[in-house]
Amino acid sequence: MAEWNAYYQNEEEDLDGEEGEESGVDYKTTGRDSLVFLVDASKEMFIKEESGELTPFDMTMQCVRSVYTSKIISSDKDLVALVFYGTEQSKNPRNSFKHVYVYHDLDTPGAGRVQDVDGLRGEDGAKVAAKTMGSGKTNLGEALWCCSNLYSDIKLRLSHKRLMIFTCRDSPHEGDSERDRQARTKAGDLKETGVVIDLMHLMKPGGFDVSIFFCDVVSPPEDDAELGLQMEPCVKLEDLKKRVRAKEMKKRSIARLNLCLGEGMNVAVGVYITALQARKPNPIKLFKDNNEPVRTKTRLYHTQTGSLLLPSDTKRAQVYASKQIVMEKDEVDVIKKFSDPGLELIGFKPMERLKLHHHLRSPVFIYPEEEMVTGSACMFTALLKRCSERNVFALCKYTRIRNSPPRFLALVPQREELDEGQAQIAAPGFHGIFLPYADDIRTLDTPQLPTASDSQVDKMKEIVQKLRFKYRCDAFENPVLQKHFRNLEALALDLMAPEEIEDHTMPKIEMMDERLGSLAQEFKDLVYPADYNPEGKTANKHFDLGLKPKVDISEDELRGHVQKNTLHKLTVPILKDACKQFGVKVTGTKKQELIDALTAQLAN
Amino acid sequence: KKCDQILYHLSYYSALVLCVDVGFSMSNSGPGQEPPFEQAKKVIQKFVKRQVFAENKDELGLVLFGSDATKNNLAKDGQYQNIYVHRNLMIPDFGLLEEIQNDIHPGGQQGDWLDALVVCMDLLQNETLGKKYDRLNIAVLTDLDSPVSPDQLDIITGNLKRAGITLQFFLPFPMDTDEAGGGDVGGSGPPHGGKGLSREQQQGLDLVKQVMMSLDEEDGLDEVQTFSDAIEKLSVFKHVEKRPMAWPCTLTIGSCLTIKIVGYKAVCEERPRKSWSVVDAQTHQKEDVKRDVVYCVDDDEETEVPKDDTIQGFRYGSDIVPFSKVDQEQMKYKTDGKSFAVLGFAKQSLVINRHHFMGNQILKVFAPKDDEHAGVALSALIRALDELKMVAVVRYVYARNGNPQVGAAFPCIKEKYECLMYVQLPFMEDLRQYTFPSLENNKKYTPSENQLSVVDSLIDSMMLVEENEDGEKKDLFKVNHIPNPQYQRLFQCLHHRALNPSAPLPPVEPWLITALQRPQAVAARSRAPLENMKKLFPLKEVVKKKELKTSKELSTEQLFGNREVYRTAVWKQGGLQNSGLVTGRTGFQILNIIVTSLSHIINAILRD
Repeated sequence: MAEWNAYYQNEEEDLDGEEGEESGVDYKTTGRDSLVFLVDASKEMFIKEESGELTPFDMTMQCVRSVYTSKIISSDKDLVALVFYGTEQSKNPRNSFKHVYVYHDLDTPGAGRVQDVDGLRGEDGAKVAAKTMGSGKTNLGEALWCCSNLYSDIKLRLSHKRLMIFTCRDSPHEGDSERDRQARTKAGDLKETGVVIDLMHLMKPGGFDVSIFFCDVVSPPEDDAELGLQMEPCVKLEDLKKRVRAKEMKKRSIARLNLCLGEGMNVAVGVYITALQARKPNPIKLFKDNNEPVRTKTRLYHTQTGSLLLPSDTKRAQVYASKQIVMEKDEVDVIKKFSDPGLELIGFKPMERLKLHHHLRSPVFIYPEEEMVTGSACMFTALLKRCSERNVFALCKYTRIRNSPPRFLALVPQREELDEGQAQIAAPGFHGIFLPYADDIRTLDTPQLPTASDSQVDKMKEIVQKLRFKYRCDAFENPVLQKHFRNLEALALDLMAPEEIEDHTMPKIEMMDERLGSLAQEFKDLVYPADYNPEGKTANKHFDLGLKPKVDISEDELRGHVQKNTLHKLTVPILKDACKQFGVKVTGTKKQELIDALTAQLAN
Repeated sequence: KKCDQILYHLSYYSALVLCVDVGFSMSNSGPGQEPPFEQAKKVIQKFVKRQVFAENKDELGLVLFGSDATKNNLAKDGQYQNIYVHRNLMIPDFGLLEEIQNDIHPGGQQGDWLDALVVCMDLLQNETLGKKYDRLNIAVLTDLDSPVSPDQLDIITGNLKRAGITLQFFLPFPMDTDEAGGGDVGGSGPPHGGKGLSREQQQGLDLVKQVMMSLDEEDGLDEVQTFSDAIEKLSVFKHVEKRPMAWPCTLTIGSCLTIKIVGYKAVCEERPRKSWSVVDAQTHQKEDVKRDVVYCVDDDEETEVPKDDTIQGFRYGSDIVPFSKVDQEQMKYKTDGKSFAVLGFAKQSLVINRHHFMGNQILKVFAPKDDEHAGVALSALIRALDELKMVAVVRYVYARNGNPQVGAAFPCIKEKYECLMYVQLPFMEDLRQYTFPSLENNKKYTPSENQLSVVDSLIDSMMLVEENEDGEKKDLFKVNHIPNPQYQRLFQCLHHRALNPSAPLPPVEPWLITALQRPQAVAARSRAPLENMKKLFPLKEVVKKKELKTSKELSTEQLFGNREVYRTAVWKQGGLQNSGLVTGRTGFQILNIIVTSLSHIINAILRD
């Protein structure tokens, strides 16, 4: 999860191009997240149900693999462990527990571990499992005890501890009350140390009865409403993955703020990010002799004296119209401040006032923080309910952290939605949509062109209908990221070639052509004249540039331009050449930077 | 010389002359009123400030009339007297701003504004000779209260037209003033102080109208404005409008249906063009500060290694994988060029999950300007989508080897144009599907009917969109009309600091504060419902004892559990040197942690 925030921070930096924007996550909440998969390895797990495509064990392994790889991509600092219980063989740190097999210790997942889990998949995987671990007596209490040792052996600070039990047996000890009792006690101990225990129960012939045993083992749901345990057992891999995914990630707010409705009326809310562009991680520098990462230190020196500069030895400057304007670093920060962090209610507007083009960045999600201000959840719920029923949104001024300039958010209500299996598909709360300021909206010259006739529109409608599909927001993987991580995986595991990725962003041309049949041609006949080429390229400008003779500019001319402040009339290539010619060092490539550099050099 | 122009003058700019009346009547004003001279000065100050910060290369001249001194090319034989060319056409700079602030004072003479206009025209024509400009403009700021000789009027307007020079007038009074005061003022009304205009002013106003109408019959009079209007408009700092970058591409549906398109960024967060550079505090020289990056091995001595001895790598979970730039380039995902390829069509209701909009922009997609066939084809698609309430889901690639996106192209039909509106949609990796505890199904949080009805009255009282008697809707708070306060403030401070280098920064301008607040009418209306809310919804801040404990826990844990922080801490104690790595607040946080944990340790020792 730490990386998740790091992504956000990176993006903020990209956007602002300024240093010092902090991620807004207070340090109290940082620390590693940890997750232990405690998987039943009894014989029942290897029996395929008639309707099922996979054995429960196989399904679990696929699920573990997908968590491993997603952790690697999006939160590679999190710790994950894989432990089997009900095994014949035993393997654990002090080998003090029988029938418990620690396959992977609590650690960050890497390529090797992904490969290990791959080895446990499918029929071959079942054989490997039978050979290395076998199926034996079940003692869940011992297994839980072993897991609690895994946690306590970790020297790092753990912020979120979760344990997931995967099983298809609702009565693991088959009525042995002593072992049941021991398991309950150990589960209680674990929960006391802050470990959240979840049950990922899988399909069992005759149904899985949670009340026989597991209801006393797992952690109570987050809220008092009886969610969670009523869930049906998972039959499909997709469901299991979804359920694991939803639990596996700890929600973490980027800010906890007051939503101020009026003087002295503050509702505490948390601000969350539910969608944010995942990016390729930054490369790290390695020492070539041992491939160990090196640390990068940046220092500021005084060019003349060579002495180190403290932050207080520097100021900030911008140049406008050849005049340098200097401010203290503190001043630069503080001029961004308009109000204290918080959300300030301005008023309400009908939903139709929120336009499609009101979009600047991914929205945030707002949920009450009852622990900070009691009564928040109730008022928030009332507001959510009425805004939703009346189809209005709340307009708020949003200041995320100290010294961040205000933005306006449209708080769009979203009420909770559950699917048939009682799993949440929409969380209750407000989505905060960032609204553009006047500066953010550009004026465009819109071309005046003829519009289509009814018959042309109708033909296009046929095309549209032929190519209909059901959009799902999680249907597309990012091919750039996937390819990058497959490459890394291949290098890490010394594979001959990386696993091929399936690029879902590419149009399925053949299938589309086939579905369209003659429609495409019919449409073209309706809109394009015979001699029109809709693919015709307009003249390529690059050719022109290539043919243009190079112009050298004399120093006198250049000085003239500097004096008259008319350098901007020269083109960028000429300015660049001039910089080279006079040995002017330029850091940027923007026209203004070139001009500033030349002016600085030639003005004296 | 000719060759120069063709090569260099690829882009065109405007040239503008400010023609300011400094004659003695400009200093007269009614009691409690700001003299027209001061108002006019504010207008030009604000305008020049805007031009300077916009750095938009428009050239500016400044001509004063009614001045004591005379300096212009046409002054000969007692003609064109009291007209002073303060500055020829130049890109405005801070010097000009300072001159306006310090050197321009009201004169004791009367100036003929028509004569001044001729001087300005002459200046524009001479100085723009052989150069190409988009626009030539003269702005006259005067109270019109001086006699003019209108016999040359036709020649003047003829010349303006021929030279393509546009004209603007800024006056201390609105144009329709004479109608109210005209009748009773008659011939010899009071020239100042009262509402009415002097004879000169009336005559002047008639002339202004005549000139403006002859230049542009329809909208000419729009270019006559009052000083106060201009001040208000110019108070808002405006970015130079960037010419929108066209993104020509082809929209494809399958392999054989293509439509030529052009995309433009329509909504995108506008950022300041300049960033702050670090300068030495004493010399203010950027060159005196050098940023130095060193690499060191992760051993106890922190041995430095030269940059050439490092290679590039990536983390793959717990593995560190050396991966050279060359290999990375070779193995990475590649795209073969720009693309706007339809993957399929989907119901709008499935895609308009506003909270799934990704990316930082909205793109509007049109057919090329001169291609009516593409226009018709695209129009057919837009209308089909609109009627079916569907969107095109497309693969978008900006340029060769750009990262591909999946996005939605919505139909957008406006009165004046139609287009597709493209927004990026999430990849699977981008989504965080958190579950949150239920609110409405939780008995503890269920609001009562009373509570709901007071929320209702709050919503009613705070509606920002009102309907008037004519059924017209009025929005009291349009965010897209507010200029980004960050830049208003930045340029206010830059301007202030540029002219007053040693003075502290000024407070935020009042108009900006007001613009960001709840409208007064709404605030007043909502007072009573808010009071009721307060009574019905008890809110109590929780005082956290736990927090103290956690921070104590954390401090020791971070210090001794996490080597990295510990090392930073030690090295911090060594003199706060490495400012690049530990910046500002983070550094202080760590320092705080050290201090608190040390005091814990000391306390513990003392207790023992």
